This record gives sequence, structure tokens and C-alpha cells, in this order.
Amino acid sequence: MRRRIRLEKKVVSANDRLAKQLAERFRAAGILAVNLMSSPGAGKTSLLEETSRRLGGELRLAAVEGDLATERDAERLRRAGMAARQINTGRGCHLSAAQVAEALDAFDSPGRPLNLDSLDILFIENVGNLVCPAQFDLGERQRVVIASTPEGDDKPVKYPVVFHTADCVVLNKMDLLEATLFSRGVFRQHVRELAPKARILELSCRTGEGLEAWLDWLREERAEAKKGGVPP
Amino acid sequence: MHELSLAQAIWRQVVREMDSRPRCRLAALTVVVGTFSGADPESLEFALRLLVEESVWPTAEVQLRTEPVALKCRSCGHDYQTETFDLACPGCGGFDCEVTGGRDLRLESMEIIRDDETPDSS
Repeated sequence: MRRRIRLEKKVVSANDRLAKQLAERFRAAGILAVNLMSSPGAGKTSLLEETSRRLGGELRLAAVEGDLATERDAERLRRAGMAARQINTGRGCHLSAAQVAEALDAFDSPGRPLNLDSLDILFIENVGNLVCPAQFDLGERQRVVIASTPEGDDKPVKYPVVFHTADCVVLNKMDLLEATLFSRGVFRQHVRELAPKARILELSCRTGEGLEAWLDWLREERAEAKKGGVPP
Repeated sequence: MHELSLAQAIWRQVVREMDSRPRCRLAALTVVVGTFSGADPESLEFALRLLVEESVWPTAEVQLRTEPVALKCRSCGHDYQTETFDLACPGCGGFDCEVTGGRDLRLESMEIIRDDETPDSS
């Protein structure tokens, strides 16, 4: 006799459990954890480099960097003055909460964890990918999605899940606007229809235009995180 | 993009469940894929079938069911669903909505047959 057994097992529930533990650690330390997501080449690392140069003297920053291979991004950030730990995912297309926890626990070297109490902001730079990272919570307080003008103004409608979950959408490479067919109005409209409450920040890491608004957003969110409590 | 590893995670759950039921064979498994789960149902089904075919229960059926996105409008309170990614509220036209379902990928159920019974005895 065939017998049906109801299971209702969520496949990413193991990740969700670990992500909750991370969120609790971040909350207890009163730090702002930011999950940065974008397609490859949109400017996640460039934004963190500029952030380090401009905010590093004022706030204590650190980053966990996700890439399939190489230590390049962590090295770039260290050169820009930010403590950074690289995670190589091999063939993995996203970061998981377990990988982030592992990186934090062996930040400087095995057995030498990152002291969250000595931090203000932890950036988690995800693997460049607009699909899979959206599904994996990393315990972050804020999700930032970065798009760039050469990618086209229709990225939000093509990758709606990741944009829907964004708390802040950064539009980078504004210095290239004239060279592309990108429409700021169309892009904003698409974002509004997926994430009406998300902050939209236009900037250029290359020229520095618009970066002050990004730094202000970080300052505000870090102040909120320090107060504790659950984000709205 | 990571459907094979998702399929492997589902399969590990199946094997764990079967381990706790000795003298049973797997006849079918049902997986629910939410439209907002980020997983592609076709690739997932392909990967699951491969794992089933290589297992000790190669004839088990793989059933996939997609689940629409369930939404609640924060402006007017309307509950609605969409199979696409058009999130606009049919009640008020607003976009400020909360996703209340369709985000999960889950192993919903499995069907088993006890080895001392024949499939025909059902």
C-alpha cells in the first residue's frame, strides 16, 4: 500500500537558522551588517574601497568578500584600509550563512575571530549574481543591491526577486550615463514597483559624485543599529 | 543556478526520512517550488530525476508543484496572488506589498511502499 507522508521540510531552513544566529550576534554587538548584492562588475568592491577611504577615519569597518576564486577583492579592500576576509566559494553562486559565520570565526587566521564589539559596520559582499544570493539570508540588517548604468535600466524587472528584497538600491557609474541608453526615470519606476520603500542612491565611485549621500545613509543606518531593536 | 545543490539537499532529506523507515521503498516525492524561491523548477526537476535514477529507488516518481507568490497590500490590506512578478495590488494599484507566500522551496511529502506488500495490494 502506498502511504503518503507529509514532511513540509524547507530546503533553505538550515541556512535560515544560522542566519538568525548571525543576526542575533550582530544585534548584540550593536553593529550594522550590510549584504551587498549585484551582478559581477557593477561596482561592489569599488563602492567599499571608496567607503573605506572616506568613512574609515570615522567608523570602524570590516568586510567579508565572496568570490568563486582569488583573494583579489579582500586585497583591494585591505589596500584601501579596510579589514577584510575573503571567502572562496569554488563553484558556489552565493554566500551562505554558514560561510559567513566561518569567515567571522577565523577572520585573521584560524582561531582568531573578528571582534564584532570593536566594529561599527560589517559589509558582506556577496558573489556577483542577481539570482541566487536573494534566497540566502546572511543575518544582515540591510540589503543593498547595486546596479550600474551600462547594465541597462531594465535590470530590476529582469531580476525582480533580488530588487524586491532591497532596502537600498545604489545606481553606480553615473559618470557613464551619457554613453549609454540608460533612462533614470525608467529605472526608478521599475525599482518603485518592486521595492517602493527602498532608498535609491545615484553615484559614481569613479568621480565621487553622489557618494556623500551613500555615506549619510550608512551613518543613519549604523546609528539605528546601535540603538538596537529590529529594523522596520 | 544552484539547482543541483538544492536537489542534493532535498535528496539528503529524503534519504534521512527513508533511513528511519526500514523495509520501505520510495514510490514518489513531491517538491513545492515557490515562484519567489529563486529556483528554476525545470532544472530542479532534471537534477532530482538524475539523483532518483542513480538511487536504490530508481522508479520513484518526482512531482514538482509551483506555488504562486502570495502578497498582502500594506496600503489597503488586500490579499492576492501572482504567477508572474507583477506585484501591483489589484485592489488599489499600489506596490507596497508584503510577500506572505511563494518564497519557499520545500519537500512537501513522499510516498512509500512497505517491502512486505506488493504495489498491487493498495
